[in-house]
Amino acid sequence: MIETLLTPLQYEYMLKAIFVSAVIGGVCAFLSCFITLKGWSLMGDALSHSVVPGVAVAYYAGWPFAAGAFVTGLLAAVGMGFVKTKTRLREDAVIGVVFTAFFALGLLLISLYPSQVDLRSIVFGNILGISNPDIVQVLIISGVTLVVLGFKWRDLLLFCFDPNQARALGLNTTVLHFTLLTLLSATAVAALQTVGACLVVAMLVTPGATAYLLTDRFGRMIGIATSMGVGTSMVGAYASYFFDGSTGGCIVTLQSALFVAALVFAPKHGLIGQRARRRAAALGAGATEAPS
Amino acid sequence: MITTLLEPFQFPFMVDAMIVGIAVGAVCSVLSCYLVLKGWSLMGDAISHAVLPGIVIAYAIGLPLAVGAFASGLFCAVATGYIKANSRVKEDTVMGVVFTGLFAFGLVIFTKVKSDLHLDHILFGNILGLAPGDLRDTLIVAGLTLGVILVLRRDLLLYCFDSGHARTIGLSTAFLHYLLLSFLAVTIVVSLKAVGIILVIAMLVTPGCIAYLLTDRFNSMLLIAAASAMGSSFFGVYLSFFINASTGACIVLLQAAVFLTALVFAPKHGLWAARRQRRLGSTGTPAEGRGAA
Repeated sequence: MIETLLTPLQYEYMLKAIFVSAVIGGVCAFLSCFITLKGWSLMGDALSHSVVPGVAVAYYAGWPFAAGAFVTGLLAAVGMGFVKTKTRLREDAVIGVVFTAFFALGLLLISLYPSQVDLRSIVFGNILGISNPDIVQVLIISGVTLVVLGFKWRDLLLFCFDPNQARALGLNTTVLHFTLLTLLSATAVAALQTVGACLVVAMLVTPGATAYLLTDRFGRMIGIATSMGVGTSMVGAYASYFFDGSTGGCIVTLQSALFVAALVFAPKHGLIGQRARRRAAALGAGATEAPS
Repeated sequence: MITTLLEPFQFPFMVDAMIVGIAVGAVCSVLSCYLVLKGWSLMGDAISHAVLPGIVIAYAIGLPLAVGAFASGLFCAVATGYIKANSRVKEDTVMGVVFTGLFAFGLVIFTKVKSDLHLDHILFGNILGLAPGDLRDTLIVAGLTLGVILVLRRDLLLYCFDSGHARTIGLSTAFLHYLLLSFLAVTIVVSLKAVGIILVIAMLVTPGCIAYLLTDRFNSMLLIAAASAMGSSFFGVYLSFFINASTGACIVLLQAAVFLTALVFAPKHGLWAARRQRRLGSTGTPAEGRGAA
């Protein structure tokens, strides 16, 4: 029994996958606190699909995959912003049109030149087979993201909560907007390696949403989200040894389970907590009304 | 030359693919007009991913796959609504959490169910390899859905535009809400075979957006959306035969090209028209100002 449980840890590729997943999970979770507050969850989904043509082109051209992915991700983001300001279409519709077009372009490229890129590893991630150069790219992205977030988190927080006040205080909100968008693209590219295009949005949303249910203080929210991201990614990567290498599926299923637990049991904002408070309020109201 | 151009029509699988593509395009595009107005575009994205666990479970216990897909798609929509109503998390975040959770769960159980399902076919569609009954099933379900939507189009339209008004004049908005969600789930299930989970969202958003750029009348919006989607489906399948590329991708890229054309050249709401109006507006303003004074 114990031997079976320890088997995954004997393989170097498993240890590598667990380590890299933990790094990506932590960085994504950190960013997810900002994304959930800003209401950009579906932007994360859109960007993670939009990077696919970039990955395909980068593989053909022999560039680092992150460079290509990053360029098409930003192109998609700029395209969405442009179409949204120039037409009367709703933002969600614009996001839907643009990201599916990018994804279809990626799919077309891959279907035209099939041998080079493995579509499955883009859509589902392939952390168990990650190559060393790819690890270096992921670590660089994570490091840069952490440094930027570390220095700028107060400005970004104000921007997410209340852009008008941020502007009134003299912060350049356009720069902050693009900083956050760039970080989102960069981490989406990194997360693509672990969980794949379909599940990136979970890494960028679920930890933040879970932490938001558990606390009202932003510092603590970052702490909870990051430890959740690191923990679920490590356990998920480990568990995927027993699930045919479906690393993304395992990590995100774990994260969703924690979200559901927080939704039900969170002390203040959980379903049970709310119900108890409502009952207490009703009792209290009854008690004060009775004498009068 | 002509023989080459007609070549695709000699293969039964190509003709089947075109018919299914056109049927799916028609039903998706009609629904997309409502989704675009209602702001539900990304609900389509969420439901389409959420059908995965339903498909796998239905396969494991021997139910028709469409039933499982429909059930888990609706579960996603209902769960999103419930969590949004009962917690302080924003709707878009809830949607992201719920559909990725379901999709991930689907992936995990997929590895544990021994099946001859092809994940690639679920994700990207397999329109060129339709099974014998698929054509008939798709046509029946697409036809029924289209029929019901068209019969109820006024009620649904009122609900999408102004649900408050719909309630005042005595329509059951809760009923219409779930009706529209069910249509969405059914349509996604029907379209899975043609374009797959990931690109069905394009079929459910882009035609409506194209039409919304081109017209202000809802009936013409329905017609334009349907025409652009059916045309894209037909030529997408046709084109994919010659360039030997993913059929779903060809259909979606053609739709995107039509969207770009509409974006630039639409007579009233296009970029070009907007620029011309601004120029006229800027020369017109002083005159108006004098007139008012």
